[in-house]
Amino acid sequence: MTLAIANRWTEALLALEQVGFSYPDGSIGLADCSLSILRGSRNALIGANGSGKTTVFQHTNGLLRPQAGEVRYAGQAIDYSRGGLRRLRSKVGMVFQNPDRQLFSASVLEDVSFGPFNLGLDSTTVRDRVAAALQAVGMSAFADKAVHHLSFGQKKRVCIAGVLAMEPELLVLDEPMAGLDYRMQEELLAVLDGLHARGITLLLATHDIDFAYRWADQIHLMRAGSCTASLDAVHLAEYAGELSAQGLPLPAVIPLQHGLTARGLLSREQRPRSCAELLAVLEGGQSAAGARP
Amino acid sequence: MLIEQSAYANRWRKVSPAAKGLFSLCGFVAAFAAARPEAALLIAALVALSTIAGAGVSPGHYLRVALPALAFLALGCISLAFSLDLNAATGAIALQFAPDGLDKLAAVGARSLGALAALLFLALTTPLIDLVALLRRLKAPEALLEIMVLCYRMLFVFSDAVHDTLTAQSARLGYATPRLAMRSLGGLAANLTLQVWERAHALHVAAQARNNDGPLRFLEPRFEQTTRAVGIAAMAGSGLIALAFGLR
Repeated sequence: MTLAIANRWTEALLALEQVGFSYPDGSIGLADCSLSILRGSRNALIGANGSGKTTVFQHTNGLLRPQAGEVRYAGQAIDYSRGGLRRLRSKVGMVFQNPDRQLFSASVLEDVSFGPFNLGLDSTTVRDRVAAALQAVGMSAFADKAVHHLSFGQKKRVCIAGVLAMEPELLVLDEPMAGLDYRMQEELLAVLDGLHARGITLLLATHDIDFAYRWADQIHLMRAGSCTASLDAVHLAEYAGELSAQGLPLPAVIPLQHGLTARGLLSREQRPRSCAELLAVLEGGQSAAGARP
Repeated sequence: MLIEQSAYANRWRKVSPAAKGLFSLCGFVAAFAAARPEAALLIAALVALSTIAGAGVSPGHYLRVALPALAFLALGCISLAFSLDLNAATGAIALQFAPDGLDKLAAVGARSLGALAALLFLALTTPLIDLVALLRRLKAPEALLEIMVLCYRMLFVFSDAVHDTLTAQSARLGYATPRLAMRSLGGLAANLTLQVWERAHALHVAAQARNNDGPLRFLEPRFEQTTRAVGIAAMAGSGLIALAFGLR
């Protein structure tokens, strides 16, 4: 399989190289899966349920160890010794899909402090990091609240804070938008954009193709335990076949853009990534097209 | 849940748990040291008053939380007032009013009320997370605290799970007849057992992902003016103990 981004290999922060993994019950998690995450990029992993997204995630953090192939972080093959995993996990933060499966303590402050303490930091540093992490996700006012008094979206943000407080280079989020209403999704998106602006590399799994197209720099398509394509998000229109093999449509804005281009209302170079961008283009804000907000 | 609500919503939520713990402890000591039932009753009343008037726990709320314990206490007291008498000649067992029963009843009942008030004071004004932090400062065994933390957290996760499963079963007529109800209840228990297993594994994985390799360490919450609060609690507590010894 040839990856679209193979020529930028040197910039890769994390790379899976022909990774194979089967679960103890015999089901295949990953089969010859290769993909790479570029430093500072926003990545969306798209695939049907059971396509291996979560298995990929658990490999990024060293929770699972490949049975074939290898996982490289910053160019180095992952060292699965105790110390090596410690180093990896302090750089790759993982946010699970269900917050109730991640939050340990009943107190927000305590739970967010859990990761930094595991890094062996002293109380003063931990306190500063916890405050900064809660601030970054907009949950400072909830520090001394009980976890079970929070809404689902708030719990999710506490989970992210708990990982942020460890100051990771790569943040991996398993379906972060699942179960959130529109407003919570927008709030979470603002949090993610803030993290990206701070230089954190982001990798998330999603079923929402419109969101992936609008948000991501790179999209990775997963099918049957393998990454079938890694592409710059702007080229998604060329992968309609691969998407339909997964039962996914193209993002709604692409057929719309094609229709408008065919009627001469939009130039071919203009590739708005969301309906809002398209509207901005049509209303005369020509500069908005192609450029990301 | 009632206890939980008031622990988070009372006026003394931000007061150091060390101060509240100390006052509660003094209440206990005073209740047990009280020489006369009247003194113990007075101590119970004072501690209850500080919970209601001081911490601002509503009286209705207070009574509802206290009621099960009071009912239990009443049952226990009644049994104290009577004694079983074995008639040696006939071998019959007779229930009779114990001669010194009333005194014993008054002493035990009043002390228990005092202890109950002291316990309720702590429970209704202090969230468990603050108490665990306090115990950690007092160097309680780590393993015990970790179990407390996880149990407390899981209590809410599982009460949600039970609620969801019950609702789902009821929606499909799972509790329509006693026979079906028994069956559904069995299903619920089986389902929950599996969930416990799964959750425990998921938490273990989540802990590993956050670099945990053994003990669970957390940041302690900070409370303002702890010294002052502890000082006031110590004075009030000593007052209670003095009262216990003073009223003879």
